[in-house]
Amino acid sequence: MDLASAGRATVKMATEPQRPTGDARNAKEVEDAALVARARSGDREAFGVLVDRYADQARRVARAVLQDSDDADDAAQDAFLAALVKLEQYDSARPFGPWLMRIVANAATDRRRRRKVRSAVSLNEGLVAGGARPDVVAEREVLLGRLRVALAELPERRRLAVTLFDVEGYSHAEIAQVLGIPEGTVRSEVFHARRKLRVLLADWRDDG
Amino acid sequence: MTESHTPFDHRPDTRLGAALREALTAPGDRTAFVARVLAGAARQPAHPVEHLLARWAVRGIAAAAAAAFVAGLVIGRGRASAEPSVSDPDPGAMIADVQAEPNLLLVAATGR
Repeated sequence: MDLASAGRATVKMATEPQRPTGDARNAKEVEDAALVARARSGDREAFGVLVDRYADQARRVARAVLQDSDDADDAAQDAFLAALVKLEQYDSARPFGPWLMRIVANAATDRRRRRKVRSAVSLNEGLVAGGARPDVVAEREVLLGRLRVALAELPERRRLAVTLFDVEGYSHAEIAQVLGIPEGTVRSEVFHARRKLRVLLADWRDDG
Repeated sequence: MTESHTPFDHRPDTRLGAALREALTAPGDRTAFVARVLAGAARQPAHPVEHLLARWAVRGIAAAAAAAFVAGLVIGRGRASAEPSVSDPDPGAMIADVQAEPNLLLVAATGR
């Protein structure tokens, strides 16, 4: 996706997230429920499919809390293993994603409390060397660095709300379930996060 | 696309979402992460029954300890009410104590 037209900074972003349609979402939830049922009965392969399916999402959500990729991976791993133990408690009538993301968010928050988060946000992390021109890569690097810093400055709940809504595609109601807060508060958190982050994107676009 | 969004918009902002997604995506090997999680899972009991038994074992021990404590308390109280306690004061000794008190006062006053 080109973020700016010719003559301005043009950056190729990562694959654009596709918010699943209602049918696709329901099909995924049905598949998840079947996988959970198999995993509950001791089928480790089914659990492996669930891990593979939610690995990226869990790592991103954990990173939104911890701002460090190593800590985030540790927290995401803790969360998956906790989820495996708690599978009996999962209500299969509800979607699996928000249930798992709640565990991930809690695991990340616990880890943040236990450890002092390394203060320096790794601005160079996450850059993937592709075939893009060096100037484009450098501009993307600047944008991503700014985004991470801006994200880190948001309150934790706000970071999670905007990540779950705009990145992971969860609804306000599902995020309310994940964070254990009213839906109206989720809308407010997303609103405030967007207001800050969009300013940053606008600045970046004008830089070119 | 983003230009049409306001912060109040209830639709996801795909452009902001894509930028954040890239910013939050870990540089590490995804496959290695999945393998790490599955290796951790393999070290846990494979069947939920084992988890269940483990939970029951903990609850069983706690319940047994509580039952033992309550039983001890009940038996102890039963014994206490059935037998006169060694520490129960003897009425005769109490009277003697009362009678002895003036003597003690007298000794204290005279210094002998």
